[in-house]
Amino acid sequence: MEVLSALATGFSVAFTPLNLFLVLFGCFTGTLIGSLPGIGPINGVAILLPLAYSIGLPPESALILLAGVYYGAEYGGRISSILLNVPGDAGAIMTTLDGYPMSKRGEGGRALAISAVSSFAGSMGALLMMVIMAPLLSELAIRFGPTEYVMLMVFAFTCLATMVGSRPIKTLIGTLIGLVLATVGVDSGTGVLRFTMDIPNFFDGVDFLVVVIGVFAISEVLVLLEQWVNNDLKVTPVGKSFVTFADIVKVRWVILRSTVIGFFIGVLPGTGASIASAVAYGTEKRMAEGDSDEFGKGDIRGLAAPEAANNASAAGAMVPMLTLGIPGSGTTAILLGALLMFNITPGPLLFEQKPEIAWGLIASMFLGNIALLVLNLPLIGVFVRLLSIRQSYLIPVIVMLTFVGIYSIHGDSFDLFFMVILGIFGFILRKLHFSLAPVILGLVLGEVLEENLRRSLSMSGGDWSILLSGNITIGLAIASVLALVLPFLLKRIKGKGRTAQLQAELDD
Amino acid sequence: MYDRIFAGALLLLSGLIAWAAAQFDVPFQYEPLGPKAFPYILSALLAVAAGWLMIRPSADDWKPTKEVVLRLGGALVLMYGYAFIYEPLGFIIATAIVGGVFSWLFGEKPIKAGVYALVMSVVSFFLLTDLLQLNVPVGTVFGG
Repeated sequence: MEVLSALATGFSVAFTPLNLFLVLFGCFTGTLIGSLPGIGPINGVAILLPLAYSIGLPPESALILLAGVYYGAEYGGRISSILLNVPGDAGAIMTTLDGYPMSKRGEGGRALAISAVSSFAGSMGALLMMVIMAPLLSELAIRFGPTEYVMLMVFAFTCLATMVGSRPIKTLIGTLIGLVLATVGVDSGTGVLRFTMDIPNFFDGVDFLVVVIGVFAISEVLVLLEQWVNNDLKVTPVGKSFVTFADIVKVRWVILRSTVIGFFIGVLPGTGASIASAVAYGTEKRMAEGDSDEFGKGDIRGLAAPEAANNASAAGAMVPMLTLGIPGSGTTAILLGALLMFNITPGPLLFEQKPEIAWGLIASMFLGNIALLVLNLPLIGVFVRLLSIRQSYLIPVIVMLTFVGIYSIHGDSFDLFFMVILGIFGFILRKLHFSLAPVILGLVLGEVLEENLRRSLSMSGGDWSILLSGNITIGLAIASVLALVLPFLLKRIKGKGRTAQLQAELDD
Repeated sequence: MYDRIFAGALLLLSGLIAWAAAQFDVPFQYEPLGPKAFPYILSALLAVAAGWLMIRPSADDWKPTKEVVLRLGGALVLMYGYAFIYEPLGFIIATAIVGGVFSWLFGEKPIKAGVYALVMSVVSFFLLTDLLQLNVPVGTVFGG
C-alpha cells in the first residue's frame, strides 16, 4: 500500500500544468528526434539538457522533460527503421529486420501500428516492474556503505566492458578516459587543484555538459557529414493497412517475454536498448522453431519483440540510476549527470528524501506512454512527413542548438572551443570503434567512485582488504569475475562466428 | 596502425598523469589515500590497457576519400570559427554565416542555403531570447 500512496504523490507532481506540458512536449520532441535518421535518444537528451538547465526548470520538471525525450526517442526510432531501413540508433537496428520488409510489401501502416502497440506494452510492463522493484532495491541499497559502492561500480564497469562495444579493452580504455576527466579540478577532500593546467575554467572540474555535447552531438555532425551522399532517401508509403485484433493476440506472449527480457537487461549496468532488442529478437526466433522461416521477411513477431524490449529496457535502465546512482545505459548516464547538476544525488535515499523527483518521474512516465500511444497511432502521418526533412536544413539547426546550449551555461566562449575539441576527440574514438557511453559513465561516476574508495580506506586505516570484507562486497566481487569470464566461455562453447557478427552489428 | 598511434598517445597520457600527480603539493591530509592515489591507480590501469592495445591492435578500416577529408576539415574550421565569432559578432550574424555554409556542405544550393540560414537564425534568436529567455549574445561589436 505504501507504494500506492507514494505513486499518488508522484501523480500529483506529474499532473501539475507545467509538468504535464513538459511530458507531452518531451514525448513529442523525443519521437521527432528518434525518427530523424542518425539522431538517436542520446543525442536528443544531450542537446536538450543544457537548454533545460539554463531556462531554470525545477529539477523534477527537467528530469521529466529529459526522460520524456529519452523514451519518446525509443518510440520514434522505429519510424525510420520501418520506412527507410535506416535505424535512428543502435537500439532500433533489430526493428529494421522485419519492419522494413513489411513496409516494402505495402504494410507500413500495420508495421508502425504493431510496433507502437508493442512499444506501449513493453514500456507499461516495465514501468509496473519498476514500481515494484525500485523500492525493494533502494531498501537493499540503504545497507550499502562506501565499500559496497566501490565494488558495485567495479561490477558495473566489468559488465560494461564485456557486454558493450567492439572489444572489452576498448570499452575499458573509454571508461578510464572518463574517470581521468572526472579527476580534473579541485579535490573536494584537500582543496588541491588537479590537472587544471592553470586554466581557471577547469578549476571546478570539466563541465559535464560540454563533454556530453562535444563527444556525442558534435562528433555526430561529423559522422553525418562523412556519410552524407547526394541523394534523398526514399520513404516507402505507409499505406492504409492497420493493426488488427488478431495481430495483437498472435504476439501477446512475444511481447510479454520481450518485456521481461528487456527490463532485466536494462537494469544491468551499462547494457541498454541495443543488447535488449537483439537478445529478445534472438529468443523469439529460437522459440518459433519450425515456424521461423518468416523471420527477417516481415514477421510481426520479429517486429514486436525488439520494440517491446527496447522500450522496456529504457524503463529498466532508470531503476539502478534512481536507486543506486549507477546508470544502466549511456542515456541514463546523462540523466544522472543532469540530476547531479541540480545538486541531487540519486541513491537509496532519493525515494525517501525527494519522493517528488523519483515518484514524479515514474508517474510522468505512465502519462508519457499513454501520450505516446496516442501520438503514434492517429498522428503517425505527421512524423512520417517529417522524415523527409533534408539534412541540409536539419544540421544547421543541430549545430546552432549545441552552441546555444553550451554558451547559455556560463556565457563563456571557452566552453565552445573546448566542446569542438572534444567533438574531434569523440569522432576519433568512434572511427577507432570505441563506444562513447563508457566515457560518459566514467565521467559521471568518477567522483563518486573516488570518494567512496577514499572513505573506505579511511575506515580501515589504509588496509585494502576492507574492499572484500562483507558479504555484499564479496558477492559483487564474484559477480564481477563471472561477468568477466562468462562471455569468453560462452564464446568458446558457441563458436566465434555468430557472436562476433552480432557484436559487429551492435557496435556502431 | 591507428590503434597503435592512439595507444601510444594514451601511454604518454598515463605517464603525464602519474608525473603531474606526483607534483601535487598536498599541505594537509586526514585520510590514508589523499588526492594522489586515485590518479596513480588510473594511470597504471591506463598504461596496462594501452600497452595491451599496442600489442594487439584492431585492423584499420577507416579509409576516407580525399573529398571526405576535405569536407570534415571544412566542418571543423567552420565550427572552430563559429566558436570564435559567436560572441563578438553575435548570434544572428554568426549563425547565419555558419548555418549557411553547413547547409551548403550538406548539398543545398548556395543562395537557398544562405536565405534559409538567415531566416533560421533570425527566427531562432527571437524564440531563444523571448520565449526561452536564454543567454544569447547580441554581439560585442554592436555593444551587446
